[in-house]
Amino acid sequence: MLWVDKYRPKTLDKVTVHDQVAQNLRKLVSEQDCPHLLFYGASGSGKKTLILALIKQMFGAGAEKVKLENKTWKIDTGTRTLEIELAMLSSSHHVEMNPSDAGFQDRYVVQEVIKEMAKNRPIDAKGKRAFKVLVLNEVDKLSREAQHSLRRTMEKYSSSCRLILCCNSSSKVTEAVRSRCLNVRVNAPSEDQIVQVLEFIGKKENLHLPPGFAARIAAQSNRNLRRAILFFETCKVQQYPFTSNQVVPPLDWEQYVSEIATDILTEQSPKRLYAVRQKFYELLVNCIPPESILKKLLAELLRKLDADLKHEICHWAAHYEHKMRLGSKAIFHLEAFVAKFMSVYKEFLVATFG
Amino acid sequence: MSSDIRKWFMKAQGQDKSAKPSGAAAAPEKKKPVLSIPEKKAAAPSLRLTWVLYPVAIHDSCAHFVVVQTDGMFLIFAIPVKVASCDHEPFARKKTSKYFGSKAEKDSDVEMADAAVEKGTDKSATKRKLQKCSNELNDASKPLPSKRPSKDVEDDDDDFVSPSKKKTPVKPPPTKKPKVASNVEAPGKNTGADDGEDEDGMDEDAKTPSKGAGRGRGRGGRGTGGAPAGRGRGGGGRGFMNFGERKDPPHKGEKEVPEGAPDCLSGLTFVISGTLDSLEREEATDLIKRYGGRVTGSISKKTSYLLADEDIGGVKSNKAKDLGVPFLTEDGLFDLIRKSKPAKAPADKHQNNNSSEKLQKSQAKSSPAKVEKRAEASADKSITSKSNIASASSNIQKSKNVDRGSMQWTEKYRPKVPNDIVGNQSMVKQLHDWLKSWDAQFLHSGQKGKGKKQTDSGAKKAVLLSGPPGIGKTTTAKVVSQMLGLQAIEVNASDSRGKADSKIEKGVGGSTSNSIKELISNATLNYSDNRSKHPKAVLIMDEVDGMSAGDRGGVADLIASIKISKIPIICICNDRYSQKLKSLVNYCLMLNFRKPTKQQMGKRLMEIAKKEGIQAQENAMEELAERVHGDIRMALNHLQYMSLSQSVVKYDDIRERLNSSAKDEDISPFTAVDKLFGFNGGRLRMDERIDFGMSDPDLVPLIIQENYINYRPNTIGKDESGVKRMNALARAAESIADGDLVNVQIRRYRQWQLSQAACFASSIVPAAFMHGNREILEAGERNFNRFGGWLGKYSTTNKNKRLLEDVHSHILASQQANLDREALRLDYLSLLLGQLTDPLKTMPKDEAVHKVVEFMDTYSLSQEDFDTIVEISKFKGHPSPMDGVQSAVKSALTRAYKQGSSSRVVRAADLINIPGMKKPLKKRVAAILEPVEESLPEENGAASAEAEEEDSSDSENNDELVPGNPTPKLDLQSDKKKGIQVQLDLKSNGNGSSGKKAPAVRSKTPGSSGKAAGGSAGKRKR
Repeated sequence: MLWVDKYRPKTLDKVTVHDQVAQNLRKLVSEQDCPHLLFYGASGSGKKTLILALIKQMFGAGAEKVKLENKTWKIDTGTRTLEIELAMLSSSHHVEMNPSDAGFQDRYVVQEVIKEMAKNRPIDAKGKRAFKVLVLNEVDKLSREAQHSLRRTMEKYSSSCRLILCCNSSSKVTEAVRSRCLNVRVNAPSEDQIVQVLEFIGKKENLHLPPGFAARIAAQSNRNLRRAILFFETCKVQQYPFTSNQVVPPLDWEQYVSEIATDILTEQSPKRLYAVRQKFYELLVNCIPPESILKKLLAELLRKLDADLKHEICHWAAHYEHKMRLGSKAIFHLEAFVAKFMSVYKEFLVATFG
Repeated sequence: MSSDIRKWFMKAQGQDKSAKPSGAAAAPEKKKPVLSIPEKKAAAPSLRLTWVLYPVAIHDSCAHFVVVQTDGMFLIFAIPVKVASCDHEPFARKKTSKYFGSKAEKDSDVEMADAAVEKGTDKSATKRKLQKCSNELNDASKPLPSKRPSKDVEDDDDDFVSPSKKKTPVKPPPTKKPKVASNVEAPGKNTGADDGEDEDGMDEDAKTPSKGAGRGRGRGGRGTGGAPAGRGRGGGGRGFMNFGERKDPPHKGEKEVPEGAPDCLSGLTFVISGTLDSLEREEATDLIKRYGGRVTGSISKKTSYLLADEDIGGVKSNKAKDLGVPFLTEDGLFDLIRKSKPAKAPADKHQNNNSSEKLQKSQAKSSPAKVEKRAEASADKSITSKSNIASASSNIQKSKNVDRGSMQWTEKYRPKVPNDIVGNQSMVKQLHDWLKSWDAQFLHSGQKGKGKKQTDSGAKKAVLLSGPPGIGKTTTAKVVSQMLGLQAIEVNASDSRGKADSKIEKGVGGSTSNSIKELISNATLNYSDNRSKHPKAVLIMDEVDGMSAGDRGGVADLIASIKISKIPIICICNDRYSQKLKSLVNYCLMLNFRKPTKQQMGKRLMEIAKKEGIQAQENAMEELAERVHGDIRMALNHLQYMSLSQSVVKYDDIRERLNSSAKDEDISPFTAVDKLFGFNGGRLRMDERIDFGMSDPDLVPLIIQENYINYRPNTIGKDESGVKRMNALARAAESIADGDLVNVQIRRYRQWQLSQAACFASSIVPAAFMHGNREILEAGERNFNRFGGWLGKYSTTNKNKRLLEDVHSHILASQQANLDREALRLDYLSLLLGQLTDPLKTMPKDEAVHKVVEFMDTYSLSQEDFDTIVEISKFKGHPSPMDGVQSAVKSALTRAYKQGSSSRVVRAADLINIPGMKKPLKKRVAAILEPVEESLPEENGAASAEAEEEDSSDSENNDELVPGNPTPKLDLQSDKKKGIQVQLDLKSNGNGSSGKKAPAVRSKTPGSSGKAAGGSAGKRKR
């Protein structure tokens, strides 16, 4: 079992990083009612852990007995009948799902599937909770239409159902949905906190950590606790006992993206653009989300970029990221960004160095 | 089409005008209906289409009508072309007198003014007729329905109480039409001479509308579109049509192109090489062809000249030197043409109506009408004589037209004997042989009247002719059967061809299909007229691919008919790959007709032209053949139509006429992209670009996107640093990205009205930025446009996503982790890969295998997942994760895993008891699992005790988490329904083998949650 799973806090009591949040949540559910919740925060900051612990706090161990189902929903849209297949993780008290998996049909998922489940009261009337919990992941990836349908559902069935929404960026969740929820911001843990966690794990695993090693991992993890723990274990797999100057191996795709960034910065030509396109394809084929590629690429480019250009490049990156979200063929937008960057950068180079 | 209509208006106008003086002089009783200007004003947008017929004054006994044409009104009202055209068609044919060839709209204005003056007197006496548009269609065949869309009808309503009655007496029977036509022309001709004076000033302008497509005349500066002599570039749009990728001529359009005698280059063959001094290559080709020369692509012994202004030392010039072909510069060519002119010019006086044309600088355009016009325009001196000639010639033509009008050429010249058929002679022969041997093969062998004829399997009882329209399939079928003395019974799309009545065997006639069936199944029917002979009929099923909704079961029935048929059946279709004909082709001998070559067609068209008394150039006919893409029927229709207005058909006429009405042809997306990106892509007209872009709105953008990087734009000029090119690239890429956004709107929100915008953004704009020369970016790449790579990558991406989703669900099912897919890919995968492969590389075999399998079981990963993880972590240019793993270790791993899997009762939902199924669909799993759930309740009682035990142990286990809470129990009870059956399995299996106390929570859920249980069960084994 990976450490990241092994040392995941199972109850709110055991949560270490966001203990304050955890305490508040505990108080919240110890009273009978509970509002809708919206957890947001960076990836790897502990949202899911908090949610699971919270559910367990609400329903007890029964909530841990989950099953995974791939259910096919038949939805009549009026003109045609859609079949949507959706994976759901459910216990008798809660259902967890990822409505944005349905792509642009997510609206129907929200309208039909979620409503369907929200409508049904839990059979277990004797339990102390008179409601079910629906956990929706990646709410920020829901289309606008889906989010609009969501807000009505939230009000109408609030007697029998609580929604727990989980997303990375609350800015991509509509105001209407946000205002109906208790927003819980889950900060990315600070590096110190990460170091603490790593040391805690090291102690439990009986490992000897050279001084500064945990700090280095924490720094490289970009305040992503999950990643930090994974890095930690990767290092362990790679080489133990640790040496103080041990290299923390970068993630495969991040490495690849930085290679692309180097390519772009060394040469700006159609030929290079073509080569970059091939590399992008390689990343996309390997299921790397295009947003992550663009983000990482921008970070890599900014590291080596002249200060004058940083603002402009950030602007273009934001521009193309937005377009990428609106469009469907991510490679077009990635390529357009690179072409734009090459054009701007080349012009800059020529103007500066002749 | 619209220009034709306009032409007709002009003709009508002319006629009216010409009739006017004569009417004034000779027939004072003749009335002129007119439109007043105020009426024009009254034209409201909501105007209903009402037509006024003005049957005016009658010349002697023959009903003659003067048409008063109100051009202005037509223009204002914007009459739908369709309506107009159906009315005008007979007219266009009838009025072939050159005299009325073309007049300006201006004329009509003048006319209007005139008319307005006369209005007061004319109106009262004029007989009018009001008719609705629909009636008009019928009347179109009547001699002279002069039409007028008018508001003025309103005030004239009283006059129109019973239009049809009024009309009838004046109306000659439709059959008299040709005669009437000739009458109409007569007066016009007679007055032609006088007319010339009136129109002097106008005819120049008059020509422009009718021949708008012509190129401007270089030196004249006047819009003499009809005269192709000038070569100025400004006038015509033809410059845009050139696609060749070569430099513009250095002195483009600066030289005057000479005019020579017609056919002065005949017999000469030219090859053009390099860039000429002032002519574009296409223009040079046109010029040579116009004068009867031939232009070929490569040098041979037959080549007369190599036309080249600069010796670029290419293949052509080398070969020309080898073969001793003389070089000819552009100026030389001009001289050649010029020289021919004076020699011929004097000779024209005594020739027929062509003479006047030559007088007018030997124009290539030889429409008699135009000739006439020019004659009027040029000089006063010969007016009378010339108009005499003109009237004479129009007389000739008129008489010709009369007998021409009797029959369509396509019918008239339909081949009578097989040898007349153009091209496809081998097909004709095959059909012939097949028909000839049919009787012997299918009738005599069986000899029995009833029952199926089982002859040798190779031979087919029916034949299917396929090929594009207009190349003579039906004709072939008819001619061949006629030659063999068979009576052809044709059934085509105009007949209902549905399934025959089931009672047909009993011989009930009725619908067409029934009678067909009867016909083919009842051999005796065919004996009726001539008993001594064998069945003498052949069934031609025309347009079988047109069997549609109305002909339900048509094809199936046809096949059934073929099976029982006692006569040969010839089926004809256009598209033999049509889905509808899939079943039919098995029963038919396939004969695929091809388009005849342009030479073959040209020859035949020449013959026909000769018979019809048309002077036609051979290369003109070949051009015509090429333009119609082998459709000989269409070629004949064009020819016939052209013969109405001119007796000499030249190369340029064909070009001009067919430029607009060329048959559409499919362009492949590659061709479209080539054109858009081509060196001259910037010169394409916008509508052409849209056509290219829309030729395949899905593929073209992808190919554009794939290849735009490869082009070096020729618009950016000098660009040493490459900045400009990079800028162009960035803008093109931006536009492509925009195109994607529009495409989402189209597809997701079904905003199909945006498809042009999408085409613009994704194809046209990038091409506009990037068109130029293509270069290769990778060594060894072929310099052709690649197919869009996106489709392939997209499908691979989706496949990998699916696989990753499998891994994801397995991990979720193992309950060891709760993570989303992105986190799995971005964060987990590296470590997972490390955990899976590193031991294999570093540790001793057995130990490593054991460790890896254990890890896989923890996360309930399957072997496929292992492969997926490895596959997805591969990056081009990076070492493969499996490098360094020996194959022995790999196979040991597989073995160990398989061994373990036998004891894994339920690993994951999709591995449940489906032996031999590698990757069952998830839906399927749900289907398998559901019944279990439903059947379970009965067993509840028996199982519950055990379950309780488990429960209690479970709650103990969890005590530390939820101390003394009754809730778990309740929860479990509600859970029991599910999973008990599987749990029993687990008990015997899992509990027995492992002493380790597994948290029962997991084993509780199986049943429908096989996956969840699977993971834990598997784990418990170890």
